[in-house]
Amino acid sequence: MGNKSNSAISRRDFARRAAFVSAAASLAPSNLLSSESSAATLPAQHSLNAPKISREGQAEVESRIQSIFAQYGDRLSDAQKADIRRLATEAQAPLDRLRAFATDNGDGPGLYLKPLMEREKKPSPVPTTRKPATVPKNS
Amino acid sequence: MPGEEIVYLSVSELAKRIESKKLSPVDLTQAYLDRSQKLGPRFNAYARLAPEIALEQAKAAEKEIQRGHYRGALHGIPYAAKDLLAVKGLPTTWGAKPYANQVFDYNATVIEHLNRVGAVMIGKASMIELAGGMGYRFASASLQGEAKNPWDTTCWTCGSSSGSGAIVAAGLAAFAIGTETWGSIVCPSAFCGVSGLRPTYGRVSRYGTMALAPSMDKIGPMARSAEDCARIFAAIAGHDLKDRGTVPIDKGAFTYSPSMELHSRPLKIGWLTNAWKSLAPGVAKPIETASRVLKRYFSSVKDVALPVGPWEDAGSIIVAVESAASFRSLIRSGRVSELTDPLGQIAGYVNEQYSAADYLQALKVREIVQKKMDGMFETFDIIATAAQPIAATPLTLNLETDLAFPDPLGGIGNICGLPAMSVPCGFTEKNLPVGLQFVGRAGDDFAVIQAGRTFQLHTDWHKKHPKIH
Repeated sequence: MGNKSNSAISRRDFARRAAFVSAAASLAPSNLLSSESSAATLPAQHSLNAPKISREGQAEVESRIQSIFAQYGDRLSDAQKADIRRLATEAQAPLDRLRAFATDNGDGPGLYLKPLMEREKKPSPVPTTRKPATVPKNS
Repeated sequence: MPGEEIVYLSVSELAKRIESKKLSPVDLTQAYLDRSQKLGPRFNAYARLAPEIALEQAKAAEKEIQRGHYRGALHGIPYAAKDLLAVKGLPTTWGAKPYANQVFDYNATVIEHLNRVGAVMIGKASMIELAGGMGYRFASASLQGEAKNPWDTTCWTCGSSSGSGAIVAAGLAAFAIGTETWGSIVCPSAFCGVSGLRPTYGRVSRYGTMALAPSMDKIGPMARSAEDCARIFAAIAGHDLKDRGTVPIDKGAFTYSPSMELHSRPLKIGWLTNAWKSLAPGVAKPIETASRVLKRYFSSVKDVALPVGPWEDAGSIIVAVESAASFRSLIRSGRVSELTDPLGQIAGYVNEQYSAADYLQALKVREIVQKKMDGMFETFDIIATAAQPIAATPLTLNLETDLAFPDPLGGIGNICGLPAMSVPCGFTEKNLPVGLQFVGRAGDDFAVIQAGRTFQLHTDWHKKHPKIH
């Protein structure tokens, strides 16, 4: 089973998520959310809040960008290329967090979501029988 | 012809009048059509009105009812369907220019179900293009333009079921059908001050509905009350051989009658302490009042925290990968450039780049959080919090840079397929609606409906409507 990782998501990450998810994932005016309000309007703080990406991560980002430009570059404007570069960069931190979350080899992927509507039936209470005193623990 | 007060009656009230033949389905339909023709454009609420279909269905309903064949609570009740549900012979645009002329020769299963109970479809509700599947930066990301909130037309309805929210709030139809992959029923319901039900994943067939992220897409009602949502849900829920994502027959169907409440169980509520980082002041006050209502009328209300983990990241990657697959031909053909929104024109290229291993890791994480949440529902029947930490936002806002906050409950609820309901619970100082959200265990849609119904038995926020002249 998985371990816990820090899921604190920076404000900048939310904006990135908006780009990717955007299926009306919640979005809020920064000036209404006091804890994050100043970061919204100060570019300098954006960069301060920008997730740190490892060298390997940066290489991965660059590889994704080049893959997009190789395939679709001729249909993209310079502004769109810059936007893609930003989006691809902002996608890395969530990926890193996801990868850092420990899963076991045997953890099953929900290949097609089946909500947990069929739960394991709890065993009915076993009639109380006195255990032999000689049974060791953890046997 | 029915007066203006009629258009804001609940389905339950309208049904009583229709059944007793005091209200003509044809007159009711005409009243909604007239109102929709007059006011719909003001809110950009509709992709298209369908007066011919509506009047034909209304006349058929009236004839049947006159003959004594009353089919139930939705018989003769006008509704709007989000423009990603196929209606035979009508354009189904998915809110997007590349599909502006798309016409299907069959009905979505939901439409078939609503036909079967005699509901009257008066039009297709506007929506965010591709339900936001390619990303969007502005409220104007729609073939129909920005949906304006009937409570304040300088504000947005939220998306992607934008028109559905506007239509119900403005009294242009008795109810509307919306869809949610992540937030698209709950958020517009909250922003527009209506009751919205996001059913358990797989309870409602998506056959004939645009796919965005097939392992997360859900269809649900938006209406004037929790009870109305229950009645509509009862009509559209059920297993469907045409949608392999639907749950088995014995777990798909839903029945509802008001008398069921008499036999329902006392609900244990978990009040979420970490669903939102902060609430806007105008939202905090109504939510605080709502929590006091819960404490008074529910059997127990205790604080609880959501588990911590990369659930939103997992959800984001699942949606990104699945949407890139759903719209692969649009992306690869380059026609994605025809989308309205600048972000929508490019985000698909980035979404295509995720690896299969990362996608599978997200799916593994989904199973882990499913189990964690199921454990939480051993203690609580319902978890509750604000539907959104803010009220409706200005139409011109840049959603990508000026709007953002963590939404762990939205992430968890949607990747786990949990049912949720947003009900109105008050107003901000600017008279914008605030929503309260109930989330239940997978399959326990009844509990979220019961929670909404109980809340609405002791409050009247759901009976408020905007003054429209």
